[in-house]
Amino acid sequence: MNHVMKAPKVVALALLSSFVFALPVMADQKNNTGSFQLPAYEQLKLDNGLTVFLLPQHEVPLITMQATVRAGAVNDKVAGLAQLTSQALLLGAGGKSKAQIEQMVDFLGASLHSDGSVEGSSLRADFMAKDIEQMLAVFHQVLTQPAFDAAEFEKLKARQVAAVAQAKESPRMVIDQYFNKLVFGSHPYGNAVSGTAASLQSISRQQVKSFHQSYYQPGNTAISIVGDFKPDLMKAQLQKLFVSWKSGEAVQQPNLTAELPKAAKAKVLLVNKADAIETTFSFGGIAIKQDNPDYVGISVVNTVLGGRFTSWLNDELRVNSGLTYGAGSGFDRYSASGTFSIGSFTKTESTQAAVDLALKTYQRLWDKGIDQVTLDSAKAYVKGQFPPRFETNTALAGLLGDMYLYGFNQDYINSFQSKVDQLTVAESKRLINSYFPKDQLKFVLIGKAEAMKDIAKTYGEVTQVEITADSF
Amino acid sequence: MKLKQSALALMLGLMFSSAQATEAKDIQSFTLKNGMKILVLEDASIPNANSYLFWKVGSRNEHPGITGISHFFEHMMFNGAKKYGPKMFDRSMEAVGGANNAYTTEDLTVYTNWFPATRLETIFDLEADRIAHLDINAKMVESERGVVMSERSTGLENSNFQTLHEELKGVAFRAHPYSWSIIGHESDIKAWTLDDLKAFHKTYYAPNNALMVVAGDVKLAEVKKLAEQYFAPIPSQPEPEAVRTVEPEQKGERRLYVQKASVSSPNILLGFHIPASSSPDYYALDLLNSILSQGNSSRLYQGLVDKELAVDVFSYLPMSFDPNLFYAMAIASPGVKAAELEAAFIAVINTVAKEGVSQDELEKAKNQKLMQFYREMETINGKADIIGTYELYFGSYQKLFDAPKEYQKVTTADIQRVAQSYLKKSNRTVAVLDSAEDKDL
Repeated sequence: MNHVMKAPKVVALALLSSFVFALPVMADQKNNTGSFQLPAYEQLKLDNGLTVFLLPQHEVPLITMQATVRAGAVNDKVAGLAQLTSQALLLGAGGKSKAQIEQMVDFLGASLHSDGSVEGSSLRADFMAKDIEQMLAVFHQVLTQPAFDAAEFEKLKARQVAAVAQAKESPRMVIDQYFNKLVFGSHPYGNAVSGTAASLQSISRQQVKSFHQSYYQPGNTAISIVGDFKPDLMKAQLQKLFVSWKSGEAVQQPNLTAELPKAAKAKVLLVNKADAIETTFSFGGIAIKQDNPDYVGISVVNTVLGGRFTSWLNDELRVNSGLTYGAGSGFDRYSASGTFSIGSFTKTESTQAAVDLALKTYQRLWDKGIDQVTLDSAKAYVKGQFPPRFETNTALAGLLGDMYLYGFNQDYINSFQSKVDQLTVAESKRLINSYFPKDQLKFVLIGKAEAMKDIAKTYGEVTQVEITADSF
Repeated sequence: MKLKQSALALMLGLMFSSAQATEAKDIQSFTLKNGMKILVLEDASIPNANSYLFWKVGSRNEHPGITGISHFFEHMMFNGAKKYGPKMFDRSMEAVGGANNAYTTEDLTVYTNWFPATRLETIFDLEADRIAHLDINAKMVESERGVVMSERSTGLENSNFQTLHEELKGVAFRAHPYSWSIIGHESDIKAWTLDDLKAFHKTYYAPNNALMVVAGDVKLAEVKKLAEQYFAPIPSQPEPEAVRTVEPEQKGERRLYVQKASVSSPNILLGFHIPASSSPDYYALDLLNSILSQGNSSRLYQGLVDKELAVDVFSYLPMSFDPNLFYAMAIASPGVKAAELEAAFIAVINTVAKEGVSQDELEKAKNQKLMQFYREMETINGKADIIGTYELYFGSYQKLFDAPKEYQKVTTADIQRVAQSYLKKSNRTVAVLDSAEDKDL
C-alpha cells in the first residue's frame, strides 16, 4: 500500500493470466530453466457425484479448501444473480448467524471467501491445519445449507449496489466489463458479472435461493483441498460430511456456442468521466476459447507482443515514448469463446498518440513477425516464470478448480513444455494469422469525452455513454 | 471408505501433520569487506530463486526540490549501465527466464528478481553492473519523467486512498520528510537535474548501504563465490547523512478536505502519530490494527459496515524507521454524510481507549498474526521479503522468528494503553474526500 513500483502490478497480473498453465519439465541446455512437476494429486468422485481433488503440501501447516460450482454470470436471468448468490452464502448457515460464523472463522485466524465470475462460482477457506474439523464443518454448511437470512440479504444488496458505483470511480476496475459487453453484446459472455444497481435491487431472496438450488448441486461442484493433511483421513471425513448432499433437478446450462456475435464492424465505446485526468483504453476482439489446442504457442506470441516488461507494447508506449506507466495485451478464455485485448492508459492530451502507437505496434505482428532471438527469449521467459505461479495452496486449489470448470487435466498441462519447445518462427506466423483479431476491432476509451470525440471517430462507429449511467 | 465416528475423531488428531516451516537456523549470513550484508535461505521447493536488494534510501532521505527522486531513481536503475546498456538489463534477464520489479517506500528502495535458480550468476552480473557503473543518460531521464508522471496520474485517477493519503501526510507532518508522497511533487518530478541524480547514486547506492537476501534453490557457497566475484570489488562510500528532523508533537486535531467530483460517497482517512517500528509498542499496535479491521468480526466492520454507515473499512500500520502514522479509512454508505460517518468512525476507535478489548478479541488477533506468518512463509518470495524486512526494521532477521513470542506477550491492558496513548484526538488528522466543493454555506 505504501509502495510505489517500477511496473504496474495490475497490468502485470492481467497479462500473467494468459499463461497460467505453463509447465516446464525439461529444457535444452541453452534455455535450461530447471524442471518442475505439478505435485501429485488425487481426483475422485463421491457417490452423490461430487468431484474431489486432494493435493497434499507440507511446507507450512495450512490448508486451502475451494468449492468450484459450474454457475456464473452466463447463467444469470437477472444481471448479477450468480455473483450475489455466491456472496449470500456467507449470510448464515446450519443454524449459525452471519456474525457467529465470522466470529468463529476470524477467531481461528482463518478466512472464508466467496465469489462469482463469468462461468464459475467459488467458495474458499484458508486456515491452519489444526482447525480442519471446525472449518470443514462450517464450509459444508455454508456451501450446502445457506440460510440467506432476509435482513442480512437486504444489507448485502445495499453494499453491492454501492460497490457498483464505487467501481466506476476507478476506470481500471470496470474497463474489462465495458469491453466484454461491447464485444459480446447480448450473448451471455457480455453479461455484467457484478450486475447493475437496478438489476441488483430487483433480485429477491427467493431468486437467490432458487439459483442456489438449481446450480449448487454435488454433480455440478468440485472441492479441491490443498495443504497439510493426510488424504485417507480427509477422504473419510468428506464422505461422511457430504454424503447427505443430494442432487436435485438436472442442471440446465445455456448453449454458449449459439449466436456468438460476428465482428461486423469497428466500434468505439466512449465512456465519459468528466473529471478524468487520464484516458484508460482497451481494444481487441473475439479470440480463442479455453480448449484451443494452439493456446500454448499463442501465449508465447502474446508474451512477445504484450505479456512482459520488454514486450513490444510496453517497450514502445512506455520505454521509448514515456506515454504511459504500462501497456500490455492478453487473452481471456471461456469455455465457448474468449477475447483478446490490448490495454494501457495515458494523459488525456496524448490519447491519440498512445492508441495509434499501440495499433501500429500490434500491426508489427503481421508486418515483421517475430524473429528467432525474440522467440527464444519469450520461450525461456514463459518457462522460467512458471513454477512460482503454483507455489501456494491457494494457487493450486484454484488450478484444480479450473480443471473441473473447463474440463482439462494434467495431460494438457504436461504437454506444455514440449509445445513451448516446438514453437518455431514459421509456426508463430500461422498462430498470428489464425488467432489475433486484425480487423473490425472494438475500442473502449474511458476519460474526458469532450477531448476525445474527434479522435474516437477515426477508430470506428462511436457510441458515447456516461460512466455514471447504470449499465455497461 | 466409511469410518465410525470414534475412529474418525481419533484419527483427526493425526491430521495435525508435520509441516516443516522455515526456522531461524535455516538462514545463513555473511558480510563482504565493503560492508554489504547478504542473507541466504536454501530452499529447493521449486527450481527457482529470487533476490531482494534492499537499499536504505527512500522518500525520508529527500528534501523539497528533489521529492520523489528515490522513486525516480528506482526507475533509472533499469535504464542502462556500462556492460548492459539501455534496455539490456530487462532484456538479458527475461531472455534467461527471469523477471523483476522494484518498489520504493518512505524508508527503502527494493529491487526484486525472480529467476530459474540456474541463472544466479546472470543476476549478480546484471546487479553489479548497475550498482557500480550506472550510466545516467539524459535522454532516458526525459522519457522516464513521462512514465513517472503517468504512474502518478493513474494512481490519483484510480485510487481514492492515494488521493487522500498524499494530502493527509502533508498535514500530519509539517517538518519530517514523511510529509510528502513517495512519488513526489509534480513540480519536482519535472525539475530535478542530471547532477541531482548522479549525486544521489553515489551517496546511497553504495554496498555498505545495502542488504541482499537470496532465497530458493541455491547453495550458500555458490552465493558467496558470486558475491565475492561481482559485489566485493565495488568500493564502499561514506555513510549517508542521518535524517535529522524530528516531527514536533502534534498539539491538536488537524483537518483537510479534498474535492473529487466523481466520488460516489464520502471517504474518510484518519492518521494518528505513532512511534517507529523499533518501539516496544509495535506489537500491541499491530494487534490493535487487526482488532480494528481484520475480518468481518472486527470493530470497524461491526461498528460501521454492519450498521450500514460504511460500505468498506480498513486500517493500516506501516513498518517504519522513524515515527510515522497509523491509518484508518472508511467509505460511506450511499446517503450517509461525511460528518455522520466521521462521528461513528471516531466513536468506534475511542471505545477501545475507553473500555479496552476482550481477551477473545486479543486471542483472535494473535491467531490472525500466526496465520499471516505462515502465509508469508509459504513461498520463497514471501520468505525473502519478510526476512529482509525484519533485518532492516527490527535489527535482525532473528526477530521474525521471535515475533510470535512478542505478540503472545501482549495483554489486553497493553492494547488499551496504546489506544489511549496514540489514537486520541490531539494526535489525529482527519481527511475527507467528497464530491461537493468545499465552500461556506
